[in-house]
Amino acid sequence: MSISKKVILVGHFGVGKTSLIRQFVHQKFSDEYLTTIGVKIDKKELQVDGMDVTLIIWDIAGETEQNKVPASYQLGAHGVLYVFDITRPSTYQNLHEQVNHMQGLLPNAPIQILANKTDLLTPEECESILGGIDFQEVHQTSAKTGLNVEEAFRLLTKAIVS
Amino acid sequence: MEKKPLFDKLRTILLEQDWEERKELAEKLEDLDDQLNSRDRLEEKVQPILQDQQEHFKNNFPKLFGPQITETISKQIKDSQDEVVEALYPIIGRMIKKYIASEIQKLSEKVDAQMELAFSWEGWKVRIKAWISGTPQSEAMMSQLIDPKIEEIFIIEKNSGLLMGSFSKNQTVDQDMIAGMLTAIKAFVEDAFAGGEQELDSIDYDNFKIVVKSFNSFFIAIVASGGMNAAFKDRIDSTVLEFADKVLRKARKGDDEEVDQKQISGSLEEYFNDFDNVDQ
Ligand SMILES: Nc1nc2c(ncn2[C@@H]2O[C@H](COP(=O)(O)OP(=O)(O)OP(=O)(O)O)[C@@H](O)[C@H]2O)c(=O)[nH]1
Ligand SMILES: [Mg+2]
Repeated sequence: MSISKKVILVGHFGVGKTSLIRQFVHQKFSDEYLTTIGVKIDKKELQVDGMDVTLIIWDIAGETEQNKVPASYQLGAHGVLYVFDITRPSTYQNLHEQVNHMQGLLPNAPIQILANKTDLLTPEECESILGGIDFQEVHQTSAKTGLNVEEAFRLLTKAIVS
Repeated sequence: MEKKPLFDKLRTILLEQDWEERKELAEKLEDLDDQLNSRDRLEEKVQPILQDQQEHFKNNFPKLFGPQITETISKQIKDSQDEVVEALYPIIGRMIKKYIASEIQKLSEKVDAQMELAFSWEGWKVRIKAWISGTPQSEAMMSQLIDPKIEEIFIIEKNSGLLMGSFSKNQTVDQDMIAGMLTAIKAFVEDAFAGGEQELDSIDYDNFKIVVKSFNSFFIAIVASGGMNAAFKDRIDSTVLEFADKVLRKARKGDDEEVDQKQISGSLEEYFNDFDNVDQ
């Protein structure tokens, strides 16, 4: 039997939330930027620890502050991916505050932080930026090359079902 | 030595007029050259002509090109009839459906008006029946023409939007995603417009109606087609309440326990499979 879990992607505008889902669900990437309006829902089935899990993925329109997102989109989520754009400091300036806000709203949901668009910088540049961010665990991803995309969703799902 | 100035003088005298003319010509040429090469000046001259032409073109376009265009289009349609049909079919289908629905609505209103006038015994009988069942007279008559039908039912967990169970006569779309989208729409409407304790209770589209019944931890969305009337709604209400009471409460024994989708879906089928066939 398969269990279903709601996962939400949040973060600023244009950080690559929709692209990460597209890469994860359809293995596709496009350079075109079509901003998400409201929310879009996608679905992917995967197996973790011998368990069939159906992820219902909510792609929520970007906001600089998460308290501007209708809480009803976020409520009931079993896991959160907080995405920022490693090439745009404004998208991770308020990272601690935003992640705390999400944790307060969903105390039982694991939250994972993704530094996306790492393909645009060298590994050294990425390391040095992440060093400055001072967060215990940030995963480097690229929706373009597919780097760590599947792994990020998989890790989150593991954290949800364990 | 002395001859040269004299000769020049003579030449000047003889050619003076020529010189003048040439100078004038050169000036004219220069001006023309300027007109041609300075965009502003050229525009000033050419613009009115272009405008005239444009106007002429505009006014005479249908006459000039109409026949060719018509011919091209009709040839195009003839050559690719399948594509045209494919493109138009859904649109026309929807248009016809909408048209019929609106015609029936109009007819229904007309019937109402006539019934008001008719003081016949038959009229009174329908009227009394309608009064007893609480439906408008026209609705009582019309509902016999286009029977309402339940197409799909979704039991959806509040907040998470996860599907707890479903029933569908012709499953075409991904039910998990529909459940999520319905939750998002409901959340959006309630957030944006209600502002208080109000809840979305129905969504209309084309000839479908989605009736939403909210409970504490879940909601039930019933997708119905056809002429929804009060009696049908009543029947949905009571069946849904009974279902929620008997099945869902049992399925959710413990608070945190996962609900059994299969069990709920199976019971939904039991409750609703013959729902439309019952004589009203
Ligand atoms: N190079 C590169 N570009 C990316 C990557 N991810 C996304 N993009 C581009 O960034 C732009 C925005 O991506 P989206 O996925 O639409 O961003 P979003 O977070 O969904 O944006 P909103 O819906 O407006 O909140 C698009 O032009 C993408 O092509 C990445 O990993 N690498
Ligand atoms: Mg988006």
